[in-house]
Amino acid sequence: MPRLEPRGRAGAPVLSLLLLFLLFGGAPSEAADTVSVDVGAVYASNEGTSIDPALGTIRAKLHSMFNYTSYRMLDRKRRILSVGEAGEFELPDRRAMRATLLPSRGDKVRLLVQISDGPRKLLTTTLGLRRGGMVLVGGPSHKAGVLILIISAE
Amino acid sequence: MDCRTALEKIASKADGLLPREAEAELSGHLAGCPACAAEDAAISATGAVLRVLTGIRARREAPALDAMWTRVRAGIEESGEARLHPSWIARWAWIPAAVALAILALLFYPAGTDRSPFHPSTFDVAVEDVESEAATVALVDKGEDLPRVIWIIEDAKT
Repeated sequence: MPRLEPRGRAGAPVLSLLLLFLLFGGAPSEAADTVSVDVGAVYASNEGTSIDPALGTIRAKLHSMFNYTSYRMLDRKRRILSVGEAGEFELPDRRAMRATLLPSRGDKVRLLVQISDGPRKLLTTTLGLRRGGMVLVGGPSHKAGVLILIISAE
Repeated sequence: MDCRTALEKIASKADGLLPREAEAELSGHLAGCPACAAEDAAISATGAVLRVLTGIRARREAPALDAMWTRVRAGIEESGEARLHPSWIARWAWIPAAVALAILALLFYPAGTDRSPFHPSTFDVAVEDVESEAATVALVDKGEDLPRVIWIIEDAKT
C-alpha cells in the first residue's frame, strides 16, 4: 500500500532559511550613519482649490505661507545616503536636484543641495537640518504655477 | 382477503415489510387456504436457505476480509501518525517565514517612492550658504512653527 508523505511541508524550511538570509545577510540595512533624504515635488497653482492629502500636516502650512489655491504632489523620491554620497532626484521639466550628505555631529544633518535646469545652476546651498527636519525650496515655474520642493531628512 | 392480496402480503412478509396487523390478517387467510400456505412455506424456506448460504460464504471469506481490513487500518493509522507528528522544523517553519516576510515588507515598502504623508518634527534649519548662477534667491523665514523657504526667482522668467 503506498504511503502518504507530507511532501507539501518539505519546502517550508528552505523558504524560511532563504528569507532569514535575505533579512539578516543579504538585505541592505539602514545604518545609524546614513540619512534618508526625502524630496517631494509639489505643483502650486491657482488652478482649482484642491490640496493633495499626501502632503500630510504640511498642507495647512503651505496654505498659510503661499498665495496659491491648489497644491498637488507630482512626485516623491527617497534616497538613503551615507556621508560623502550624493543622491540624484529627477524633477519635472527636466530639472534635477543633487543632494550630498556632508559630515556633521550629533543628530544634525548637513546637506549640500544643488538644483539645476539643464546646464544652468539654479541653486547651490548648504543646509543644516535636524533629523526629522524639513525645508522648502520653491519658485521654479511649472505650467501655470510653480514648483515647491519639500526636502526632509530622517 | 383474497389469494392475490395474500400473495402480495407473503412477499412483503418475506422482505420484512409487513405490519403486525396485516400479518395477523394474513395468518387467518393462510389457515383456511392450503395453496397460499404452501407458497408462504416455500418463500420462507427460500429466505432461510439464502441466509444460511450467506453465512457460510461469509465465514469462508472472513479470514481474507479480516486480513484486508487489517492492512487498510494499518495504512490509515500510519498516514495519520505522519500527519500528526511532523518534524519540529516542518511544524514551526511557517513562523520565521511569516516574521521575515513582515519585516521585509516594512523595510522595503515603499522603497523608491514613499507615499506616507509628510510629518516633520522640526523646522529648525540653518542655511549655511546659498548662491545661484541663473536666479535671484530669497530666504524666507516666517517663524519657528513654519518651514523655512528658499525661493528661487528665475531671472529670465520674472
